[in-house]
Amino acid sequence: MNNNTAKKGNFGNFLRRSSVPLMFILICAVCIPLSGLSPSYLVNEIVTRMGRNAFLILALLIPIMAGMGLNFGMTLGAMAGQIGLILASDWQIIGIPGMVLAMILSVPISILLGMFCGKILNMARGREMITSYIMSFFINGIYQLVVLYLMGSVIPIKHSTIKLPRGYGIRNTVSLLSMRQKLDNLIPLTIKGVKIPVATFIVIAVLCVFIVWFRRTKLGQDMRAVGQDMEVARDAGINVEKTRIIAIVLSTVLAGIGMIIYLQNMGNIATYSSHSQIGMFCIAALLVGGASVDKASIGNVFLGVILFHLMFIVAPRAGAAITGDSMIGEYFRVFVSYAVITVALIMYETAKRSEKKQGGEQLKQAQLEEESK
Amino acid sequence: MKSTRRLLIRLIAIAAVIAIAAWMMVIGRGHTIYFDNKPIEANGEKYEAPYQIQVYVDDESMGKLKEGDRGMATTMGQDFKMVLHITPEKDAKKVGSAVSLKIPYNMDGIVINLPALLGGAPEEVYQSEFIPTEVEEPEEEVDISSDEFEMPMGDE
Repeated sequence: MNNNTAKKGNFGNFLRRSSVPLMFILICAVCIPLSGLSPSYLVNEIVTRMGRNAFLILALLIPIMAGMGLNFGMTLGAMAGQIGLILASDWQIIGIPGMVLAMILSVPISILLGMFCGKILNMARGREMITSYIMSFFINGIYQLVVLYLMGSVIPIKHSTIKLPRGYGIRNTVSLLSMRQKLDNLIPLTIKGVKIPVATFIVIAVLCVFIVWFRRTKLGQDMRAVGQDMEVARDAGINVEKTRIIAIVLSTVLAGIGMIIYLQNMGNIATYSSHSQIGMFCIAALLVGGASVDKASIGNVFLGVILFHLMFIVAPRAGAAITGDSMIGEYFRVFVSYAVITVALIMYETAKRSEKKQGGEQLKQAQLEEESK
Repeated sequence: MKSTRRLLIRLIAIAAVIAIAAWMMVIGRGHTIYFDNKPIEANGEKYEAPYQIQVYVDDESMGKLKEGDRGMATTMGQDFKMVLHITPEKDAKKVGSAVSLKIPYNMDGIVINLPALLGGAPEEVYQSEFIPTEVEEPEEEVDISSDEFEMPMGDE
């Protein structure tokens, strides 16, 4: 009897934890046949998008491990990556060396931004997500000042293909034709018509191995301890503030590198908009994969990319098939993306409150028992 | 002692990263090479253009250049190699020639006059910088701020 109850409880827990991915599996199962897209086309698209987005989403795992929630501030790293790419493009460094140079240029910018963000988040403990979200808007203003006014006037920009006709500022779109899919096509492999970006997957695999290894290091263990309980971690002699700053710095640096991988696949930079929604996309994808604000794994990243992007591909076609208007599908996916973030945040807050309530009740019970003695 | 060692390791790591960046800047420097099959006169010598030159870069044909034609290729690094298949006159037999050139780092675009190169002319005769003509453009509108809060979905 007890066994049965426990099993039911486990199943209930599993359902609650997997409700978002299950909902997406259901949506995709309905939309795929309606979209009329061939399996090979879908697989091709998913593989491409996995190579494009997985690195960026993996950048979110470390702050979650440190108990800092979903790092909306990864946009800061994305901006650093874009600055690196703009400079590498202007210096006419092309192909893989151009990408590597852009990554190297982005790292110090990411470190500075990450340290700044980490310090602010330490001041706003307990409200990290909203703070990092607003922070991304603040740094976006500085990014626009640098890119629109300082580049070309203070920071030398030589080429008129990058510079605005007025002589300073960067154009709305910067072409990355000389770097386009250079990493994806470095080791060409096509299996049954599906193009596999082997080199990109190797880079992603290296990051996965790094994350697994990092969790076992002293710093990784410290981060987990800080994530579980900051006060206990502090009592154990861990420098909580420093550990949290390192988590955000790592995430920002990885986001910068991820943005470069993302943009090399796209083949151009939308200078003033590419970075702005990247945090939202990555967070939505991670949540769709079954992650929560305080728990995420590498598996969640890959499941999230597959499900979230599958919906991205099939929803407009399915919308067109059902209603005759593909915009319905577009609205649907926008709605679902926001909804999944909202639901995850509500679920997190509800769980936190019920935990607090349970803790309070246990304390009350203990006090009553103490008094009765 | 430990802190000195740590500082030393950090300095070495920074130096290594800077060295990699410098190396990337050298090996990754992109150049656009323009090949001219045009007659040229320099230092009192005239270099006649052959009937046709076919240019191969990395085993890929960059086109057949008839007299007066211009071809183009993009290259990375400062060592440029190409293979020329020269047809001196119509219906004549093709002659192959492998050419290696050092490209100046500071030049984005380089024009190579093939007849002068094949005729053994000095570098300043067969090689010149390509300077694109500046076209007057209307000021581009940069939409950097708006009151819209919608999510521009879709990275496809």
